[in-house]
Amino acid sequence: MSAPQTALLLIGSPKPKESSSESLGAYLFEELAARGVKTQAVNVVKALRSDEATAALRAAVAASDLIVLSFPLYVDSLPAPVTLALEQIAVWNADAAGHRPAFVAICQSGFPEVEQNEIAIEICHNFADAAGFVWAGGLILAAGGMVGGQPLRKIKGMMRSAVSALDLTADALAAGQAVPEKAVVLMAKPAIPKIGYRFMANWGWRSQLKKEAGGTPLDARPYA
Amino acid sequence: MNDTLPGAALLLDGRRDDEPTLGLAHDALVEGLAAGGWAVDDWRLRDDKIAWCAGCFKCWTTTPGMCAHHDDGREVAERWVRSDLIVFLTPVTFGGYSSELKKALDHVIPILLPYLRKRGEDTHHPQRYERERDLLVVGTVPAGQPDSAGARTFRRLVERNTLNMEPPRWATGVLEEGAGEWEVRVAVDALLAKVGVAPARDAVGVTTAQDKCDSDREGAVA
Repeated sequence: MSAPQTALLLIGSPKPKESSSESLGAYLFEELAARGVKTQAVNVVKALRSDEATAALRAAVAASDLIVLSFPLYVDSLPAPVTLALEQIAVWNADAAGHRPAFVAICQSGFPEVEQNEIAIEICHNFADAAGFVWAGGLILAAGGMVGGQPLRKIKGMMRSAVSALDLTADALAAGQAVPEKAVVLMAKPAIPKIGYRFMANWGWRSQLKKEAGGTPLDARPYA
Repeated sequence: MNDTLPGAALLLDGRRDDEPTLGLAHDALVEGLAAGGWAVDDWRLRDDKIAWCAGCFKCWTTTPGMCAHHDDGREVAERWVRSDLIVFLTPVTFGGYSSELKKALDHVIPILLPYLRKRGEDTHHPQRYERERDLLVVGTVPAGQPDSAGARTFRRLVERNTLNMEPPRWATGVLEEGAGEWEVRVAVDALLAKVGVAPARDAVGVTTAQDKCDSDREGAVA
């Protein structure tokens, strides 16, 4: 793995706005740009919506020395559009002899346990091997609800471990090294204790329901 | 699910293309379930317009229990809830499910409640419905790779799914591409037996199936 000149951020959240996956990836890419790497970002869902956008994604993959996928956990693995994109990229890269960019995955979820995201990272590792990319490591942010789609610089105090992890990652990747173990550990460090996180999350769901559901109980069973 | 009476099975067919071994597995599953008296909802996902889950969580907050978007994706939760057995059929894709299967699976969020509850070592969402359903997962890997990294990840993924979906019984089998009709049928029958489906067609040796298919993963979630 050599120091990258170009880096591509694949934003794997299907959310049109306020994506925590984008927040994490965007911060890392700002730091990579500050270290002299030429960066670009592509939203995976948008890239799959037209032939033209898909062709642009293919060109971006082919032109990148480093690819970072930042995505939310969906049912213990990757969201469907991200899976589709990876299926296509693996096929494309089979035709691109010799193109071996470094590949990094960042997974975040609303669960407070890092372990719940590990299989998704494993899938990314398997993808990298299948596509002929160089696996350069994965980062997991549990309790991703703490980010809430906000720019990481705005909530730097609360998310200081994650920010430090991404700073270390930027240093390593810009130098052509894999994600350091220290960054993995820092990213995995909970911003608040699990019990507090669960309490806050449950309170948040109840408040949102009161505002949005028009009297329908949160535990409604429409198909019973 | 009652152990003696057949029920309703939802087969989520995640084939991307014409994948011969998965085709054989599909036919063996449908025939085996039907022979056992089960009603089979055979859903070829590739043929339907299921939008990608937008991650908006309106199915938890605005239309609780129901996807807020009007497309075939809304049907996933409904058909899931009305089943006693869920069957996934998929090529093993980097250790995960195919994009075709995943586009449906991402829509099962409404069957859960949004609350976070501690269960065992982990945090999980409680089930919205009391009715339980078993889970059977059949995947294929390239010939000669039954123990590849992808196959191992796949088995772990199914196991992780069972922690969140809480099926009383579950089984997973990894078939090698190129397996013949007989091999596939024997393997599928063995898997069906593990989730309480006894096909009434010609008896096959369940123990023999262990030699033909990696179907050693099964379990029950407390």
